[in-house]
Amino acid sequence: MPSATVNKPRPSELLSRLTSAEPEVKVRALREVKNQIIGNRTKKLSFLKLGAVPAVAGILADSIDDVTENNNCNNTNNFLVQSAAALGSFACGFDAGVQAVLDAGAFPNLLRLLANPNEKVVDAVARALRMIYQSKLAPKYDFLQQKNMEFLISLLNSEKETVSGLGASIITRSCETNLEQKALFDAGILRKLNSLLEGGSLSQRDASLESLATIFRNNPEVISKFAGPEIGRPLSSIIDLAKDRYPRTRLLACMCLIVIRNASPHFLQDIGIKTKLIHILLELLDDPGQVGDEAPFAFSSLIAQKEDLQKLALEANAIDKFHHHIKKGSLHPRRYEGILLALADMCSKLESCRTKFLSLQVCFFSGTNYLAQPNQVKPWSHSRLWPPMVFTQQQSLSLLQVLNLVADALTDYNAGVRAAACICLKSVTRSIQNLSAGYFMNETIVIPLVQLFLDPSTSVQVAALGATSNIVVDFRTHRSIFVQCGGMKQLVQLAKSMESSVRSNALWALKNFVFQADNRLKEGVFSELTASFLSSLIRDPEPSVQEQALALVRNLVDGCINLIEFVFAEDGLILGAIGRQLQCASKAEIGIQGMYALCNVASGNEFHREAVMQLLFTQMGDKNQSFVVKFLQSNDSQLRTATVWTIVNLTCPSSPGAPCRLEKLRNAGIVSQIKNMVNDPCVDVKLRVRTVLGQSMAFGDN
Amino acid sequence: MQILGADFLASLGYNVDIEATSKKVITREEWEKRLNDVKIRKEDMNKLVMNFLVTEGYVEAAEKFRMESGTEPDIDLATISDRMAVKKAVQCGNVEDAIEKVNDLNPEILDTNPQLFFHLQQQRLIELIRNGKIEEALEFAQEELAPRGEENQTFLEELERTVSLLAFEDVSNCPLGELLDISQRLKTASEVNAAILTSQSHEKDPKLPSLLKMLIWAQNQLDEKAAYPRINNLSNATLEDPTV
Repeated sequence: MPSATVNKPRPSELLSRLTSAEPEVKVRALREVKNQIIGNRTKKLSFLKLGAVPAVAGILADSIDDVTENNNCNNTNNFLVQSAAALGSFACGFDAGVQAVLDAGAFPNLLRLLANPNEKVVDAVARALRMIYQSKLAPKYDFLQQKNMEFLISLLNSEKETVSGLGASIITRSCETNLEQKALFDAGILRKLNSLLEGGSLSQRDASLESLATIFRNNPEVISKFAGPEIGRPLSSIIDLAKDRYPRTRLLACMCLIVIRNASPHFLQDIGIKTKLIHILLELLDDPGQVGDEAPFAFSSLIAQKEDLQKLALEANAIDKFHHHIKKGSLHPRRYEGILLALADMCSKLESCRTKFLSLQVCFFSGTNYLAQPNQVKPWSHSRLWPPMVFTQQQSLSLLQVLNLVADALTDYNAGVRAAACICLKSVTRSIQNLSAGYFMNETIVIPLVQLFLDPSTSVQVAALGATSNIVVDFRTHRSIFVQCGGMKQLVQLAKSMESSVRSNALWALKNFVFQADNRLKEGVFSELTASFLSSLIRDPEPSVQEQALALVRNLVDGCINLIEFVFAEDGLILGAIGRQLQCASKAEIGIQGMYALCNVASGNEFHREAVMQLLFTQMGDKNQSFVVKFLQSNDSQLRTATVWTIVNLTCPSSPGAPCRLEKLRNAGIVSQIKNMVNDPCVDVKLRVRTVLGQSMAFGDN
Repeated sequence: MQILGADFLASLGYNVDIEATSKKVITREEWEKRLNDVKIRKEDMNKLVMNFLVTEGYVEAAEKFRMESGTEPDIDLATISDRMAVKKAVQCGNVEDAIEKVNDLNPEILDTNPQLFFHLQQQRLIELIRNGKIEEALEFAQEELAPRGEENQTFLEELERTVSLLAFEDVSNCPLGELLDISQRLKTASEVNAAILTSQSHEKDPKLPSLLKMLIWAQNQLDEKAAYPRINNLSNATLEDPTV
């Protein structure tokens, strides 16, 4: 059978030719290896497995020795150029290749060869090194050493684009700390980079923009110096490049400006520039290549956490544009992930953005719903009234279509896309209106979401739990769907995960799931969890898990008096665990959730209140101060509120044991501490303090 | 050098405040007088010519022009010959040769440009099919192209389209015949040419054609407002008498 590769030697054969004694055979084989692997990931991998990298690195090393022995030999230079090019290609966009090149010891040899007199050798070597420096595996360059800094400056000053580009890549990859950023600034690097921005070639400009962004990241000091009068008109040169004709240059200039704005918000406040950035990035989405893939990530970093920018982006029809790209289908996974994350950021704060997103997918709905904020639960049943949204029949028609769009992303083969879909869903479901309308508690969404609980990737699991946390708040009728598809049992299983982030997120979802749920559902969750497991979660080594476990208890015992019995099950295992945790609370949040749990227990009967009292006092032990006084003196107003709430419940005038408990509290100095708080800066605290003092007066205290 | 539409109009002395009702007539003398008032530096014109010669790859002409006019090219003339050799190889169907030449020029070009790499490999496949080497074509598609299709949906579709050429006995007369057309080679060749130019930090298109487009656009705009000596023949640039 004739073969396309019949004229071509097989990889293994080529490899043996690399060791040939004949220089011509050897150099031809070297060139052939290079030509086979360039642009071809599959070939890189197969040559790598055959051990081609050490062989090529060996040729490079031998040829260096030849250079020192007999100067200026064409053959030698050819060996150097071909082997450096092959090594560079192995390292190009391929981490396994980078690792192999480093392991083969080629790196120091390549560095040495930058001083070679032959231009072609220097070009090939600089390219190979730059490929290595595109990877995270590249060896860290120590800028703080004087001689390294001098070497770097010599690279940047080179007339050769490949060499100055290498200098910029080294900065982009290796500069991490503020100290290093400052050292680069002090060495005058920014001035050099700026001159490349203004007078350099296309590739020099791009490389310089990347390095600048690295040196600016989270460093307002360096930025203000750069923007100062010392260095010409630096910011305006970057702003100009954001309008450059080359898409990649536009993207890099935008990213640089975003880094500047995120580190020093007082720069680039002009609304014109902000709008411009949004428009440029949205336009770049149309680029079919890598630039278009990265554009949504840059967009996210521009608008994340910033309502003003999210508003501008909404006005620029960002949501429509993203939706349009998703609808087109067959997106590169990186781009798909980026667009979903950008949508997540768009919908993270503003209701108007969520409404826009859902106007693609709403169903009709009428009636009034009462719902508290999803992630935050108050003692007892505090609920807020949200106006109902009324949607037209036409809007409802697209419901299925766009729910499917989200569900598609949840079941994508790429883990990054699945995680991004969850994060997007979490963001959209922050909306109380949408949740209460029950758009999300349906099989289209819940079934794929619950399947992600068992995803092989931890980040997908965590993101799925995050979205679930919001969705399960969905009221009354819809919760049964979640139980029916096994979601609840899965959550309990995940609370046993080895990963603390999975444990805490599973508990978070359970906490929201039982929020204001009916007794039967809470009993179901509790019997699945068991008292001993829940108490072990309260004592988990990870503070975030402790916090969520305590918050779960708080929500479980909220409401009906029978539910309070949960904490007394198995000889009061849970109550004991709460007490111990409050005694040594490592952060305010643990105290807050623990105190609210006790507060809810103290809302029960006399027996319950006495048990709480006992907990507050027996835990004092030989320490001078009760944790109650410590909490009352905390800087955290929520912790103060939770603690005073508990005292309110313990001293409720309608209960017979109240005077006795009040006496105990007075003796422990707690009442006098509360008296000091009548003018607490937090209104919530102030109100509760007045309630306690009022109740205390009712029992004859002055 | 960058010329914007409005500046260009103004530099030619176009009058923009013309009454809508009647077109203003500009006589040939008046027009030529105004044209003479526009000063364009000789060096700029020379740069424009050099830019055209360099970008289009007329290396010998560029060399002569450099000696005669003293205009320095903005790119090393030696690299032009290399680039032209690549372009020519694709145009002649020697794609493998072209790939090797590109890699010698700068290995990064094909390593960082998957689309171009795919199109070159696709062109190789087309050449194999054109030459009737069916078995080879199949094996090549399987070994070299299929992995690229797995990485990218668009590539997969293009690959399927190309491979379906094999289903036709008379490929030149089949619905996908355009793939075998010489224009497909030219398309691939110009894609490689552009990528090489970009890698050399050079614009991928010469400026002169854009200027001519600008001239046509400006004349079309002006036609609505005035009658003037128009340039209809771009190759000799004669001014036609205004038609009233």
